[in-house]
Amino acid sequence: MDTNRVLNAATKAGKMMLESGGETYRVEETMVRISLALGVKSIDVYATPTVIILSAKDEHNNNHSTLQRTYGATFNLDKISKINDLSRSIERKHLTIDDLEREISVIEHQKGYPDVLTILSSALAAGFFTLLFSGSIKDFFCAVFIGAIIKYTIISLSKFSVYSFFINLVGGMEAALLAILLYKLNLCTHYDKTIIGAIMLLVPGLAITNAIRDTINGDLVSSVTRTVEAVFIAIGIAVGTGMVFKICFRLFGGMNL
Amino acid sequence: MILATLYSFLASLGFAIVFNIRGKNILIASIGGSFSWFIYLLMQNLHNSNTVSLFVAAFLVSIYSEVMARLFKSPVTTYTICGIIPLVPGNGMYYTMYYTISGNINKSTLTGLQTLTDAGAIAIAIVMVSSLSKLLFLKKKKVM
Repeated sequence: MDTNRVLNAATKAGKMMLESGGETYRVEETMVRISLALGVKSIDVYATPTVIILSAKDEHNNNHSTLQRTYGATFNLDKISKINDLSRSIERKHLTIDDLEREISVIEHQKGYPDVLTILSSALAAGFFTLLFSGSIKDFFCAVFIGAIIKYTIISLSKFSVYSFFINLVGGMEAALLAILLYKLNLCTHYDKTIIGAIMLLVPGLAITNAIRDTINGDLVSSVTRTVEAVFIAIGIAVGTGMVFKICFRLFGGMNL
Repeated sequence: MILATLYSFLASLGFAIVFNIRGKNILIASIGGSFSWFIYLLMQNLHNSNTVSLFVAAFLVSIYSEVMARLFKSPVTTYTICGIIPLVPGNGMYYTMYYTISGNINKSTLTGLQTLTDAGAIAIAIVMVSSLSKLLFLKKKKVM
């Protein structure tokens, strides 16, 4: 058994999970499970949203360690689910290290949904949230339009690895600006409902859920990091929409929007 | 109310695709979203406060997610996130910001506190359910 290869595969799996938005304890558990199943004697893993540290002993009591920096989190719950399944099936199906490496690279190169579909579905999500918060049918179409533009901006900005605070700030600004513009053009009836529907796309649902779950599992460093991330996203949205509102109040005067 | 449930189903469906959930999990996750909103509306119709309604809805949808995760062998988050998304107090966040900008400090503090309480209620509901399910799961393991 080649300990180095096993540890590399485990680290790769862990990195992928963390970058797809997995919880800390799940990442650690999966890496331990993979390594132990393939014959590493003992292993310790420490994962946070930005780094994975792994230290293991092979059968001759030699120490091996790897450190993997991870960057940013995207949403790909399917990848997490697949790697989780893979790690559980090693013992059940008696997979070898070659099988594991092949499977991991298959999951790694698996493409997410095409951008067009993501934009379309987030546009619809924004629209239906507007309806949910008792907007009119006119607001629905405005929110669909704004939602599509926001998602397009998010996708194109994240290609330049811009800090997420800025992305959310721009998203919030777009939502407020477009909603007020459409309201002035008499295309939507409640600009507030339209904005709320659109900013639901930016709300840090995954970060909050993961922060809570990390807290329960006692991964305090990760939970604090993720809470701060969620708070900053929320502040970004508020600052973005707030800036536009402030400017509009100045331009149009008072509250007669 | 049925219409609202349909809306929340479709909204969660959109989110399920954004989060890259695949196959039959999309459907299960979106049903979770509409389920949580249905419970929320039901609780509000029974004259409960907003926070209590959110708590009960989040509690039940977390149970739903835990059960589905065990049944279909997927991570719990797959279902929890889409179930919780309609309950997230985006409404409160927006109005807090709005009142702050328009200089109405009284109202902004009020809505800000309410938003925090709502978010806290959802968080505590998730915490309770996953701690309870962990207890049950451990018990099962020891017995077997």
